[in-house]
Amino acid sequence: MGVTCVYSYPVPDGKSGQAVVEILQRQIELLGALRSGHFCVDCDTFQSILQTSINVQPKTVYILHNSEQPASCFAITDTSLCLTADTLFDGLMHQLKNYYQQRKNAKMEAKGQRYELGDFILKVGSASLAGSFKGIIVEVEYCPCMVAVDCWGLMKELLQSVVGSVADQPPPILKNRQDELYSPSITVSQYLDIFNNFRKLSATNQIGR
Amino acid sequence: MAGSSVKVSVEALQEHQIQEVTLDGQEIYVQQLSMSENLTKLAHKIDFFKDESDGKGKPASEGEKEVAEDKQLAPFMPSLWPWDTVRNHLKCGLTEMSVLLDVLNLVKEKQYLVADPASQDTPDTRPAVQLLAKKKSLVAASSVLLSGAERLKKSHCEASKKTNDFHTELSTLRKIWRLKKVSTNIVGDLSYRSAGSRFWQGGSFEVRKSVEGEQAETEGEGGAARATSLEVTVPSELEGVAYIQVEVKTVPDMMDLTSSALKMPPGLSAVPTNAYWQSKLESAQNVLFCKELFAQLAREAVQVKSATPHMVIGNQIITNVFPGHQLSIVLCHYTGKEKRVPPSNTKLEHNHVLEHSLHQLLHEVHHRNVRIDAPHPVNATYGMTKRRRIAGPAALTRQDMIHMADSESLLSQIIKQTKHAVLRIRCMHVIDQMAVSIQDPQITAHWGCLNSALQSSVRIFITSAGYESLNTLSRTSIVLLIGVDTIRVVMKDGRTCQLSFEDKELQDLLLWQIAQHHTSVVQQIARYQGWQVLTANSSIGSGDAESFATSSAITIASPKGDKVISFRSGPTSGQRLMVKSVHSQADAHPSPAVTDSRWFELGGAFSEINLEKLEGRNLASKIDMLVAHLSNH
Repeated sequence: MGVTCVYSYPVPDGKSGQAVVEILQRQIELLGALRSGHFCVDCDTFQSILQTSINVQPKTVYILHNSEQPASCFAITDTSLCLTADTLFDGLMHQLKNYYQQRKNAKMEAKGQRYELGDFILKVGSASLAGSFKGIIVEVEYCPCMVAVDCWGLMKELLQSVVGSVADQPPPILKNRQDELYSPSITVSQYLDIFNNFRKLSATNQIGR
Repeated sequence: MAGSSVKVSVEALQEHQIQEVTLDGQEIYVQQLSMSENLTKLAHKIDFFKDESDGKGKPASEGEKEVAEDKQLAPFMPSLWPWDTVRNHLKCGLTEMSVLLDVLNLVKEKQYLVADPASQDTPDTRPAVQLLAKKKSLVAASSVLLSGAERLKKSHCEASKKTNDFHTELSTLRKIWRLKKVSTNIVGDLSYRSAGSRFWQGGSFEVRKSVEGEQAETEGEGGAARATSLEVTVPSELEGVAYIQVEVKTVPDMMDLTSSALKMPPGLSAVPTNAYWQSKLESAQNVLFCKELFAQLAREAVQVKSATPHMVIGNQIITNVFPGHQLSIVLCHYTGKEKRVPPSNTKLEHNHVLEHSLHQLLHEVHHRNVRIDAPHPVNATYGMTKRRRIAGPAALTRQDMIHMADSESLLSQIIKQTKHAVLRIRCMHVIDQMAVSIQDPQITAHWGCLNSALQSSVRIFITSAGYESLNTLSRTSIVLLIGVDTIRVVMKDGRTCQLSFEDKELQDLLLWQIAQHHTSVVQQIARYQGWQVLTANSSIGSGDAESFATSSAITIASPKGDKVISFRSGPTSGQRLMVKSVHSQADAHPSPAVTDSRWFELGGAFSEINLEKLEGRNLASKIDMLVAHLSNH
């Protein structure tokens, strides 16, 4: 396990998401990376239904799963506090139906190919909200290092050969925690950040229409 | 009298005794006794014993007889007439009286008996004799006591030794083995199932009480076989002696498939039929264990795919560890029915260490089967290991989880251990050979005493005799980490390199290091003698190429600068020494461009020196001598 950067890759006008994903995949294969299965990150949203007063906004808990950590379940609150737990935590959330309810049609998923290239693990996939395509996600992990600031240069070099100028800066969440020891919860927070951006975008699009 | 005409009969009143009164008031009477019955009843009431004890010889009056007594007379025999006991006692009394009369006659009248006084020894009054006598009698008494105690002890010992009792022996058996009762039989289990084995073959045995005749026979044969009243019957397939034999053989190039014949070490023989049950059961259990081990290995040999296929032929598994080395695992099961193979002269060279670790590996498998971590919390899934449990909260990656799940087969583990053992012996051999054959730099090997079944280490020192203490720089040390099929070498300067299992590679490396060692010794000597090192190169590119590795060279100049020594050492080409001496020509053509006298001494030709002709024990002392000599000139 090492430092991971997650980016959303913009889809240029006039191209379908699937085509762009295929272009990226070909690019990665040209670098010499080997396919090693698929990856999947999913995110459920739970909202509190007990409200003490009308003015208070409902509290939200996001439950995420990452195929890279198959035995774990991540729960992130509004205040970006992250809990790493066993997969039994899902069952616990369903027990709390009277307090937290799953939001309908809010399940986000990122799915795609996983590649290995030396010490790097590359993932390219598409993010979808309740089944409809929302964007492209590119993830790069550098396994031997645990501190982001020490390996950012190396990762940037690789990332730029795949996604170009998108990866000029480290992802915003990673940027604040560059000196810390990296943990898988940071990866999941990055995914949640991107998922939330996609949600907002789709919400504004709908309003625009 | 008027009364004469009137008959008066004396009779008991015609009154019936009431036996019971029924609930309706009716009375039930007891039947009136007849005259004879009445008499018997009255005779019953007489206490003849009382008459004897109270008033002997007193005639028992009729009135007294009438006294009612509650006590029942015990020895009343109705067949004898009532006065029989009285008569007997009177007779006895008469006899006693006559005897008394006889005795009185004897005493009174001297004609019957004469009593003479008998002479008696007067006891010795001297204290010494008395003491002696007392001592004697005490010794006698003590010997009686001691012999008695001895006898008691012996009998006690015998009682405790002879556990011939079937039930005591059964309870001992019960303490050691698992037994249960099935209808009328006692059946035991000697399999490893309770210890975690999952082998299909069961190991039940039957316990019976041995027949008396057999027991006597075993006792008659001698003290070696312990007499036992208990007999165990093990299944026929578990009879005999079995063991797993592991052998690492060197074969020219092909696998040797012919040597799978059963070889029985002469010292090992089948268990005698009348053996003590403990040894019988133990050997049967061992047979079962060996069978399970072999079955497991054979199954893995068939399943596991490898570059060179493992072969299972009869009771033998053959695999290739290295080219030219094969590992054979043989299950030897000797039931006593096989034909005796004449003991061959070739000694059985089997590998005890590997056999032991094979047994250990299976025991570990059993242990893992049995010991399952308790669920934590209690409602969690059963059978999770602790690492698996914390995998979720610790966010372990997929890779870690895969590592956690994979388990190595017994066969691949034992092959790895074999590879390591072979490699270690090879290394040892190569180092020892070189240490013997190469005299000049001395090679010493220090084997690490702490090693595992898959890794061991050795530190090799290369030193020149007499110059060990010069400096640590003049001592070359190499560390070899011997792994499964590669050797990792950490050199003097900290560089590491990986060697394969071939002997030649290690040999070449050591030769190369020896060649470099010579150069570094020369360098050290030069430094101590105050000479100047002009060049030093451990891998020079000029000159003849070596068949492997590189040669090293050094050039040193004397303090005055008039003598230059060039030394070259290669692993195959050997050591060569050249000397150049420059005669100062400073006064011949002084030139203003030459500022220092040493610049005059640049030219000149090297001349080779035959190293063998130089005086000295080894190369270091030869060079030392030469350098000292040249400095003085």
